[in-house]
Amino acid sequence: MIQMYHVDMRYPGETYGLRDVSLSVERGEFVFLTGPSGAGKTTLLRLLFGAEHPSRGQIIVAGRNVSRLSSASIPELRRQIGVIFQDFKLLPERTVFENVCITLEIAGLPRRELRARTWSMLRRLGLGDRLDNRPRALSGGEQQRVAIARALVNDPPLLLADEPTGNLDPDLAFDIMDIIADAHARGTTVIVATHDPSLLERYPHRRLVLESGRLILDRRPDTFSNAPPQTARRLS
Amino acid sequence: MDREQLRRLASALRSGIRGIRATPIIFTLSVSSMAAGLLLVGTYLLVVQNMQQVLVRFGNELRIVAFLKPNAEPSPSVVVELRSRFEAFDGVSRVQFVDSNQALERLRSDLGREAGILEGLEANPLPASFEITLAAGTRSASTIEPLAARIAQSEEIDDVRWGEDWVNGYSRLLRAVVWLGAALGAFLMLVLCTVVAGTVRLALYARTDEIQIQRLVGASGLFVRLPFYLEGALQGAVAAAVAVGLLYGLFQLGLPILGDLLAFLLGNSAPSFFGAPQIALLFLIGVGLGVGGSVLSLIRLEETR
Repeated sequence: MIQMYHVDMRYPGETYGLRDVSLSVERGEFVFLTGPSGAGKTTLLRLLFGAEHPSRGQIIVAGRNVSRLSSASIPELRRQIGVIFQDFKLLPERTVFENVCITLEIAGLPRRELRARTWSMLRRLGLGDRLDNRPRALSGGEQQRVAIARALVNDPPLLLADEPTGNLDPDLAFDIMDIIADAHARGTTVIVATHDPSLLERYPHRRLVLESGRLILDRRPDTFSNAPPQTARRLS
Repeated sequence: MDREQLRRLASALRSGIRGIRATPIIFTLSVSSMAAGLLLVGTYLLVVQNMQQVLVRFGNELRIVAFLKPNAEPSPSVVVELRSRFEAFDGVSRVQFVDSNQALERLRSDLGREAGILEGLEANPLPASFEITLAAGTRSASTIEPLAARIAQSEEIDDVRWGEDWVNGYSRLLRAVVWLGAALGAFLMLVLCTVVAGTVRLALYARTDEIQIQRLVGASGLFVRLPFYLEGALQGAVAAAVAVGLLYGLFQLGLPILGDLLAFLLGNSAPSFFGAPQIALLFLIGVGLGVGGSVLSLIRLEETR
């Protein structure tokens, strides 16, 4: 699903967001992207959905070379990717229903199908009775569920989540992660950027560890039980 | 365009209407500034239109007068022959023969109460003449001069007068009106376009989050821009309607107040308001400005990912 080859992301002033990152994520995998603040997690996610252009290297997402995509081709790529943010990014003046169906409007779905799919997704996420509410009337956990519904309503093959539980208390965080895990169980490839150790502990998935823009560790679940973290495959 | 694209288009248009409803103050601000600008443009167009009507009327009165040799009343066959010859010249629309008696009658009529001074004349001193009316496209000195020279070549003609100074003044005035109109029009358009671009940019800032989310979920550049184009076009149309309405109100109010001044400036012509084509032109200018301003302010949006 994702291949990155020697990717650099350099900003003006010779500061690096990412340095020589190479990795591969298979279709249907669940991957945690972890590391301290400023390690490059958000930069990596932004590169994957074409919000940034790498300074060097190649990025392949769902068969498309993102590094070579023209601005006009980026929307097509983004319709294949659901993205969730820590701050939800909901439109405050629109209802829950309208916030979710925006994805399907842009995909050009007929109104009837659009309504049915949005309603069904919101019901699946426990928001069936919140359709006409504005986001400010919802709790943080509910707002994040709306954001997840918006990201998943188009059945994207790839879901990217940038600190999706960062603004939530632990119970709500697990609730949100369960929803993301459910999407994974339905076949979606998932990448979650987080520095919350409780999530890593509770959900035993592959971990990519970034530090100062470098990928320093790629730890797969099969190494969790019989090897302590320090013996996992360490990348230079 | 397939059905999916049509649905996206409809969705973009709905988004535009939603945007207008979400930012009514910005919409009103844009419409007001555009209406003020269009009111200025409309006032200028109205003045030019009425000036041109006066100039056209003056132009219609422009003619070449070819005087025949004095004391030689031409025979009817000569009159017919000369008339046919002059009518065949390019730029001539009508030729009228005025015999010496008709000329004297006209002079008497023009003198009015002073006509008594003609009583002492022993003989009619006025020569017969041909009054040659010019076609609409030939009312400039450069076209009248060679025509007058050709007419003067006829041996029956003694003198040709065509009011050279007046024609030159008329041509200059017409040119000045057109150039002033073009310069003022271009300046006003530029100012209005900048005003519209500024207000669209305000709307753009007000909807940054919406655009960001639309981009995030895969909206194309056109999908994002289309609502703003629609909004610009709607603002332009509403502003044009407001400007035409205000202008009509001011025109009706101003007529009685400025009656004497207008009578002096326009002569016998009654001032006229715009017809359907001019109103349509103002609407077109308004819509064009709205869309143009949106295009101007959205150029940078295209460069962002």
